[in-house]
Amino acid sequence: MSRIIGIDLGTTNSCVAVLDDKQHPETLSTADGERTVPSWVSWAASGQVAVGTRARRQAVTNPSATVYGVKRLIGRKVNAEDVSWFARLAPFRIVAAPNGDAWVRVHGQPISPQEVAAHILRRIKQVAEEALGEPVTRAVVTVPAYFDDAQRQATRDAGQIAGLDIIRILNEPTAAALAYGAHRVADGRRIIAVFDLGGGTFDISIMSVDNGIFEVLSTGGDSALGGEDWDRRMVERIVDEVFDGFRVDLTGIPMAMSRLREACETAKKTLSTENETTLQLPFLANDQHGAPINYERVITREQVEMFTKDLLERLEAPVRRALGDAGIKPSELADVLLVGGMTRWPAVERVVEKFFQCKPSKGANPDEVVALGAAQYAGILAGDSTDAAALLDVTPHDIGIKVGDSQFAVVLPRNSMLPVRARRLFATTHENQKFVSIELYQGDSPDVLKNRKLGQVILDDLTPGPPGSTRVELVITVDVESILSVTAREPKSGRESSVTIRPSGGLSQREIVEIINRRRQESAVPPEAAEQKSGAVRVTTREHSVHSLKPPTEKK
Amino acid sequence: MATGPLSIKLRCASWQQLATIYKRDLSRGNMFLKATSPPAVGTPVRIDLTLPSASVIVLTGTVDSHVTDPQRGAGVELKLAPIAPASVYMIESALASETKRRNTPAAGIPVAVPVSQGNSAPVARITETEEIGAAEQDLVRALLSEADSLRKLNPFLVLGVGYEASDDDVRAAFGELTKRYHPDLFARYSSTELRQTAAEIFILIRDAYRKLVNEAGRVQALAGLGRPAAPRAIPLRAPTPPPISVGPPRPPPPRIGAMPPLPKPPEARLPERPEPPSPSRAHTDHSPTLRPGDTSVPVSHAAAADPVTARPGETLPSAPAERPSAMTILRQPDPSRSQPVATIPLAPGQTFPANRVSSSASMKPASSTQPPYTAGRRAITATPPITESADSNPLDDLLDAGKFDEALAAYRAMTKKHPQDRSYRAGVELCEGLRALAARDRLEAAQRFESALEIDPSNERAARELADMRRQATNERKGLLTRLMGKKEP
Repeated sequence: MSRIIGIDLGTTNSCVAVLDDKQHPETLSTADGERTVPSWVSWAASGQVAVGTRARRQAVTNPSATVYGVKRLIGRKVNAEDVSWFARLAPFRIVAAPNGDAWVRVHGQPISPQEVAAHILRRIKQVAEEALGEPVTRAVVTVPAYFDDAQRQATRDAGQIAGLDIIRILNEPTAAALAYGAHRVADGRRIIAVFDLGGGTFDISIMSVDNGIFEVLSTGGDSALGGEDWDRRMVERIVDEVFDGFRVDLTGIPMAMSRLREACETAKKTLSTENETTLQLPFLANDQHGAPINYERVITREQVEMFTKDLLERLEAPVRRALGDAGIKPSELADVLLVGGMTRWPAVERVVEKFFQCKPSKGANPDEVVALGAAQYAGILAGDSTDAAALLDVTPHDIGIKVGDSQFAVVLPRNSMLPVRARRLFATTHENQKFVSIELYQGDSPDVLKNRKLGQVILDDLTPGPPGSTRVELVITVDVESILSVTAREPKSGRESSVTIRPSGGLSQREIVEIINRRRQESAVPPEAAEQKSGAVRVTTREHSVHSLKPPTEKK
Repeated sequence: MATGPLSIKLRCASWQQLATIYKRDLSRGNMFLKATSPPAVGTPVRIDLTLPSASVIVLTGTVDSHVTDPQRGAGVELKLAPIAPASVYMIESALASETKRRNTPAAGIPVAVPVSQGNSAPVARITETEEIGAAEQDLVRALLSEADSLRKLNPFLVLGVGYEASDDDVRAAFGELTKRYHPDLFARYSSTELRQTAAEIFILIRDAYRKLVNEAGRVQALAGLGRPAAPRAIPLRAPTPPPISVGPPRPPPPRIGAMPPLPKPPEARLPERPEPPSPSRAHTDHSPTLRPGDTSVPVSHAAAADPVTARPGETLPSAPAERPSAMTILRQPDPSRSQPVATIPLAPGQTFPANRVSSSASMKPASSTQPPYTAGRRAITATPPITESADSNPLDDLLDAGKFDEALAAYRAMTKKHPQDRSYRAGVELCEGLRALAARDRLEAAQRFESALEIDPSNERAARELADMRRQATNERKGLLTRLMGKKEP
């Protein structure tokens, strides 16, 4: 049985980890030694797909065909508020699929976010296989705690397209808490906060840990705030300075912008530990007279902190709200865990300390802890781990049926711990009623039409009789994978009818199989032909994570 | 050989031999017997399998074919009639505990004593290659019977907490059980049935937890059990405790006395097996006379028995017009108890016999003189001693003190005096069971507890002992499985 990997599929960066022989989780790095893979996918005009660092480098030269932040789109409707915000901002096109889902359009071709995420997952799978030297088929993938069923299922579907069996979707704060060993503290019930400031999003989760049982109490955050904002501020600063000094607008020179952005990110990382660093960008551009601009500048942490002060202030409100939702005072928190690369920034740490009035726990690599936690849980699921932790998931929304015109009769209230079973009795309302059709909905509105329809079950051939004489028993079971099984039964006659409802991520199983088959056909092109088509690219294929076009299933 | 079944006595001198026979033969429903002059195909065979504990399991079968085993020589292959699941389970749990206890392989050979027309002797060859699939089946069986016994217990017993447990106690107990039974911990097994059974058990535990997690819920649960709401103020050794299981597996012996209608215990569930029709049990789940407001609608407690009937005009509009599809809601959702409950089939006018064996056993603190098997017992024994009511049973004290022989004698005396009182007869079985358990004969013990429960389904202590044994057996089985799969034991 192959090992199960843990994947942190992030908005900007993804990371993969696995339990080693001593049951310690370890991050797997790419052949280039990178411990995270940027969640970027880029399509060259030739159709070649690049993933990771290489894709991100293409963002400047090929912005309309380079997709990032796909996590913001997966399993979402195009008219959702933050999706339209992201659509305005992103240089690539975001379009509506026939069912209203947000897709991207690359080279005139609509592509589902699931497929884009599949490219990233396939790349991660490849990294893991190279590092482990064995095929990898199963994974635990993390998602933010606020992801709904559709987003979670869409993530699963992405795994299926990538040839990965996602055996469990795990909440990111829970994974982080696992990696920090919060479940090993045998100290009764403790409330902890997970403060996750990543590349593109900020998430705060308040959770309770009780003897290895995790429960997310509330979540909050700002999906438009992350480390990239700090980079952008620095880039803007330097663009201004260059314009002031040389009268050259760098924003019009893609190559210069690309170099500048990378340099600023590196500088920011250095400044997390050092007080000052030197930005060196020789031959950045040409000035008005055609002379090269050799940009060099000493930048201090203090300077950066000064022009990013307002970003820090945006951290406070979500934290307060999350604490309020959970009904927790900062003093009641037993621990605050820092997650995400941006929490290395000293000013962020200071702000956290001020909010929570306690020193936060820092891991060695805050950008890897989520993947490490996922690997740990993968070990528990595989039976490799001696840890006895169990994560208690809850139903995120009420589940019930439609009664009357549009009333919603809740059968399973939200926040029910999974797995769960609920049973309700119903009665007919018509004389000699022959059948009943029970429509299942999920949502929190008392108006059933505002909730999401999950499916329906029809029970035929009821025993005839006056209204109310015939009983129908409805049993709803939700398992740990959030898969619903519904049984309607007439106790009198013993007739029953049942249906199993899997959450839908927007793509039907047929569509997923079609995508997989299409990929298989594409990859059936003889290797010589592919080589001739893109001889230059092929060289980079091995060096820079342009992923192979082999179908995932062939790799056994 | 048409002179009746061929009778063979097979005595296992050690558990190891039983293990071999079980693994090699019984578990596949067949059995190989070495025979120099094999009986004709189709000959009925009766095998009295004597266990090391001197209990006898009778196996019946027929000669299926004449075979020559490369390792064991010429002989006959017997096709065995299916063994009762209860016996299978008991053999297995006994074996599991024994193999765990002493890991010294006994190389002995089962002694076959041909009795009437003896011409065969099984030869043992211990093959330690166990099938993972078979081991999974073992675990499934252990889990199934555990789910079964959990269904018979009230929420306090499911979680293994005392009746006056605090929020923290309940949470801690639930935490422990979660670490043992959470479906994720069974995710690695390939058998769907296994994973589903584990999930079933977890649902039972989860529902018990939901009921008891706060003070109000516990008060309600206690009230449902017929216990007073203020547990510490009232003696817990109530003379008439509630039954903990509904619907005995078989029609119980006639009860004496009259039974007052009890509040419905929320944990009571209908048994899997259909109940024998009885005029006193008109109000069951399947009652055709169910009407809104009828209290026999399976409601969790009296308060929820107020059904919400929808207006007659309420229809589901999306259904085709010519096929009416309307429904009414019979019961409002009650978030705290989504688990179904059944009415307890007690006839009005019946009463529980006084001085029940089970009345207070679970309420006693763990006595230091208790035999070692109780070491694994959980919080249930941590209950502080409660003032006894005047008519409490001194026999319980004997049991708690580990004086099984005295208790047994006392129960026997009481049974003679009141031959109609099944609580005493159950007490006899309980004592025998506890004695067997103390002597490490888990098979015998399980049988005794089972029969105690059969005689008196409300014998709380027998139910609890049985559940404890099963829980242990499951644990051992899980260990076995992980070992087989080359994993470290959790």
